[in-house]
Amino acid sequence: MSNSPLIIDSLTFKYRTRPELAIEDISFELKQGELLLIAGSSGCGKTTLARCINGLIPRSYRGERQGSVLLNGREVAEMQIPEMAQMVGTLLQDPERQIVASNVFNEIAFGPENLGLPREEIVSRVDQAMKRLNIEYLRERETFNLSGGEKQKVALAGVLTMNPSILLLDEPLASLDPASAHEALSVFRSLADEGKTVILVEHRVEDAIAIQPDRMLYMEEGRIKYLGPIRDLPKEIDHTKVKLPAPWVVQRVKALDPVPESAPQPKVEESSEPLVVFEDVDFRYGDEYPLILKNVNLTINRGDLIAVLGPNGAGKSTLVKHAIGLLKPTKGRVLVEGQDTRKMSVAQIARVLGYVFQSPTHMLYAPTVKEELEFGPKNLNFNPDDMAKSIAESLSTVNLNGFEEYPPLGLSFGQQKRTTIAAVLAMRSKILIMDEPTAGQDFANYTHFMETLCKTSDGRESILSANFASTLFITHDLDLAVTYANRVLLFGDKHIVADGRPEDVLKDVDMLLKYRVRPTSLLHLNLDLLGKTGRFLPAESLAGFAA
Amino acid sequence: MLVTFKYRPRNTFIQRLDPRTRLIFFLCVVLALTIPEIWDYRFILPLFFVSLTLFLISHIEWKDVRRILPFMFILVFFIVGLNGLLSGRGGPSSVTNIPSPVVFEVLWGIPITVSKMWFALTQITRMFTMALLVIPIPYTMDPNIYGTAFKRMGASDKVSFTMDLAFRFLPTFARDFMITMDAQRARGYEMDNLKGGLVARIQRLAPLIIPVVMQSTVTGEEVIDAMDLRAFGTKPRTWLKDLKYAPRDFFLLGLGVAIFIGCCVFKWGFGVGGYFVPDFFTNLFI
Repeated sequence: MSNSPLIIDSLTFKYRTRPELAIEDISFELKQGELLLIAGSSGCGKTTLARCINGLIPRSYRGERQGSVLLNGREVAEMQIPEMAQMVGTLLQDPERQIVASNVFNEIAFGPENLGLPREEIVSRVDQAMKRLNIEYLRERETFNLSGGEKQKVALAGVLTMNPSILLLDEPLASLDPASAHEALSVFRSLADEGKTVILVEHRVEDAIAIQPDRMLYMEEGRIKYLGPIRDLPKEIDHTKVKLPAPWVVQRVKALDPVPESAPQPKVEESSEPLVVFEDVDFRYGDEYPLILKNVNLTINRGDLIAVLGPNGAGKSTLVKHAIGLLKPTKGRVLVEGQDTRKMSVAQIARVLGYVFQSPTHMLYAPTVKEELEFGPKNLNFNPDDMAKSIAESLSTVNLNGFEEYPPLGLSFGQQKRTTIAAVLAMRSKILIMDEPTAGQDFANYTHFMETLCKTSDGRESILSANFASTLFITHDLDLAVTYANRVLLFGDKHIVADGRPEDVLKDVDMLLKYRVRPTSLLHLNLDLLGKTGRFLPAESLAGFAA
Repeated sequence: MLVTFKYRPRNTFIQRLDPRTRLIFFLCVVLALTIPEIWDYRFILPLFFVSLTLFLISHIEWKDVRRILPFMFILVFFIVGLNGLLSGRGGPSSVTNIPSPVVFEVLWGIPITVSKMWFALTQITRMFTMALLVIPIPYTMDPNIYGTAFKRMGASDKVSFTMDLAFRFLPTFARDFMITMDAQRARGYEMDNLKGGLVARIQRLAPLIIPVVMQSTVTGEEVIDAMDLRAFGTKPRTWLKDLKYAPRDFFLLGLGVAIFIGCCVFKWGFGVGGYFVPDFFTNLFI
């Protein structure tokens, strides 16, 4: 018998509540110390496969399972949870979902405590895990006050204390800023080098490739589409479905020999009118709390398509909450169309400025999409005819025609996100603000989403420019700023440290690194070719300029 | 993710107490007032001052309780107190059964008697006696020992951890509520504009309630998965934190037990402690 830590043979699974197979005929084997990258779009079966490996299927999720999953030669379905938890350590997509204790030490000790180990053994394991990840300084901290990167490390330490031979990392970079994601990846690589078998489920393929996974498994519609070495990826994987490094995309586009699509020129109106103005704004939650915004000066003009970059906790969301009036400045003032937000209600400002929150589940409540879209216009006292027209146009704009009677909470994540945009569109606000518009969406979906919003066709304006005088989005994805924005704000140290055209702000790589924004291959390639292109372009469009 | 209340370590008598002592003392006071049905102000007032003293020496800052205290005052004064004043219900039958001078009438001729007024005052004091013991707990008890406290009082692993999670559910619910509130306000929703009858008003709250309930459900499922993956509940667990009683704990525990036994003995043994309107109060109105 093979002594592989994981052998999956002809694995097929169908959830009890769904008619279709979630995964079908999956077979592969892993060696000790191997780092396998699993990628694929949302709904391709990655999470189901992960649940089959860590035993949540068949224990917590019922359905029909065929084939076998062997952990160190033993069938998962026949093992007890304590045994399995010591063989497979699972790091969930969002560390916030994994952390159950209120303090770091208790959180890391949670697993060994559940195994009923002696106290000395538990303390020793916790100390080792903290030392291994260099987080001894977090020992007594409260878990909910940690940064995203710190939470990730604490969750990982909690997994390591169970001494698993296999680490299953389910989209561990999803909630991290680029610098924290890079640090986390380095840790995963070193764990594999120490002999742990690491399964990294991740759609940020470009980032994951940087730590040189031994193999990649790519899934589509529940099946394995590709399983092999990383070097063959440019030939085997469609770059529109998985985010590959820009030079690989260029190489692939050239090999396919298509006519590169010309990228839309982001529109900048020189003599633009100010829509929102921040004047010397300071903000703190109370006298005893530290400043979150300090001397912020900003003007949002008609025609702006602004990307706001910066590290977690820098104050980006606080900034935009001032624009909508949810927060009022401690010092200075914010003007929306010339009026001080202190003298306006949020509902009044909502007529001018639509704000799409990061998580659709914080907004969506109605039994149907149509009623969801009626909510804003009704609050703003639209007459029935205007409301019906506005809703019909909004649905059409985000390609949700035909979904009027669907329950919003039953839609896919991407569709929910578009519903929230449509809900704001229906209010006919002049300015659109989106907090992390692509968070939680895979590359193919979020590219489609942004293209739908930003792309021009047949000489017509894009959805954004046709419907909004100005758009601002907060993002950790530098490539969104490179590809779609006509203006970039870099936020850090409680204020705006850089503001200008993407080509001007993003050329200062040292400054980006200082504020935890890691330059991507697309940015580097754009900077290299800027002399020829004159502006930033998507990777496909660079094929015509690259040597 | 579950968050905690604004706990802050302080070097106070209250925080030096074993958490079990505080929970048991609270239980003793509640049981002393409810089981033998104590309505006599001569019993309730001393207990109120004990609770008030413990509250004051916990040194909680006003900024921490500036939201919960007004809420508590409104709840006690306007719901418990007003109900007692208007209906005289929620306490001993003698409040309404025994004739009492009518001081004035309100609304559609509802008589406000001396007895109802005294009952409302007594009810308010009783409620505050209990509330003042509970309010400091989230701000002065280390959230890391919620579960341990219940475990060391003899609860099972599952019950202890459930209590631990339950303590942290309330602030998590509050955080999700605030985010949802902001998201809906940004869509022009205004709480002040709730119009119509009761059903219409409840329907207008749906944009707040449904997203928060959905978030809570999702959070609950996530916590269950995370606990399963780390073998919770599969065998007796080790609780790392240990708790030890100090002499001050024995003092307060003794006081709590004495209060409970004392109230039971006076009420059931000597027939003292039940509801009555003192003469000095009646004389104020006749």
